[in-house]
Amino acid sequence: MEFSRQLLHRLQPTLVGQLALVRSFHATPVCQKVQAGRYRITTKRNKPLTYEMSNPPHQIAHRKSWNSWNTANILGGVRPAETTIEDLFIRKFMTGTWHNLFLSEVIIKRQHNIIRIAGLVKQAISARKMYFLIGFTEEILSCWLQCPVKLELQTVEDPKDAIFKYI
Amino acid sequence: MAHFPKYMTTVLCIPRYQKQLPYVMTSVYSQIARSEKQTEEFRVLELVKKSAQRSARRKAKKIELLPPRTNVMPVDQDWSSVWPGPRSFHPASVPLPLRQGYNKKGVSPGKFANAELMKIPNFLHLTPPAIKKHCEALKKFCTPWPEELNDENCEKHFPVEVITSDYCFSSPDIREPMARIVILKVKLSALTLDKHAKDKLLRLVGERYDPSTDILTLTTDRCPLKKQNYEYALYLLTALYHESQKTEPWESEKTVADMEYYDWEQNVSYKNVLGTLNWPQSVKDTENFKLTPEMEEYKKAISDLMNKGEDLYTISKYKEATKKLLNLPEFLPLEYTTA
Repeated sequence: MEFSRQLLHRLQPTLVGQLALVRSFHATPVCQKVQAGRYRITTKRNKPLTYEMSNPPHQIAHRKSWNSWNTANILGGVRPAETTIEDLFIRKFMTGTWHNLFLSEVIIKRQHNIIRIAGLVKQAISARKMYFLIGFTEEILSCWLQCPVKLELQTVEDPKDAIFKYI
Repeated sequence: MAHFPKYMTTVLCIPRYQKQLPYVMTSVYSQIARSEKQTEEFRVLELVKKSAQRSARRKAKKIELLPPRTNVMPVDQDWSSVWPGPRSFHPASVPLPLRQGYNKKGVSPGKFANAELMKIPNFLHLTPPAIKKHCEALKKFCTPWPEELNDENCEKHFPVEVITSDYCFSSPDIREPMARIVILKVKLSALTLDKHAKDKLLRLVGERYDPSTDILTLTTDRCPLKKQNYEYALYLLTALYHESQKTEPWESEKTVADMEYYDWEQNVSYKNVLGTLNWPQSVKDTENFKLTPEMEEYKKAISDLMNKGEDLYTISKYKEATKKLLNLPEFLPLEYTTA
């Protein structure tokens, strides 16, 4: 009798520990919500989306392609971090300089030391201003990034042409 | 006060009717406005703006643009002058009815205002006629390959092969760390090496020697520049060659027990074979003894057995070689085997 009591006394802490383990196990479902690059449907179904916007990120390389083209992120590529930061800077610069004019994302393609920036632009400003902006952007960016920068834009007469669907 | 119009004085002289003052003021001011037009001395102050006077919204000026130039392109135009270099797609200069993109409910988007077509790299500047033109332009800088320099002569006159790599990548920086690596390959038979020198060289180079092709490969990547690595590789080859030619004083102290591999001529087996085959005479000059074909075969068999290990193949080879060496018949007569 005395022995069994002692045994129980010995075992108790481990039993308690086991119980605590069982209690601390959570079985709540994991919230695997992903929202990035996806757009909410409006009640009036009048939100314009471009082709790029209408395809979520997992469709990259299937239905749409990348906005940055370079060899930095392939195996053994050089300057991956610098390239990404530069691309980010170029995008910021373009949206600021070409304010309210870009209808698509800014596409940045790199070949050797040349950076080619492409995109769809509204025909909202005169050709003269457009030429100025092109020259200005190329000059400033090539001074900043220390390499030739080319702008290859396509102007769109009606901004609605760039819209793929309404949701 | 003299230059003030008459009615200003009248305004100032209005007695203060406490409640009606705002109304009076406005009516007076509108009076002022009306009279202003007549005199053109003061600007108009309109406290209540009339809707008719609101300026109409300026209409955006329509920018006149030429139609896409694909409309006026002749069929037999020189395409390489339309699209001379790498460039993002432009629908107005490519006379092709292209479409790109996936549309679940209809046709895929056309070439105008299509960002997908601008993203993908195109090879419109590398059409076969354009490449032909490039080749024609480059041809005057090329000379034919010397006919005498076939593979055989190349190996004979240029036994050393140096392999380096240059890298193309998209970056404003031209430095690529992998470009420093230099691989030097040389056929060992191109070097003049005696038995000792070859043995020593192979020990020094270790796994850099491939016995199946007889090629020694030296890879240098420890220096930061390609040129330095190339010079280091040449230095290594020279050092290896001269080091292997040297015989150090301690090399003569090596005994049979120190051997890393089984060398038949240094072992007792060799002396026994010579003694057995030349019995009852004994061979004095064992160093320069000319081996018979049977002895060569026996040497190979026993060396394989000792160096490669014992298995069915080496054992059977050893058995056959021994029989041949001792001039025994292939199959022993029955009475010997059963006895």
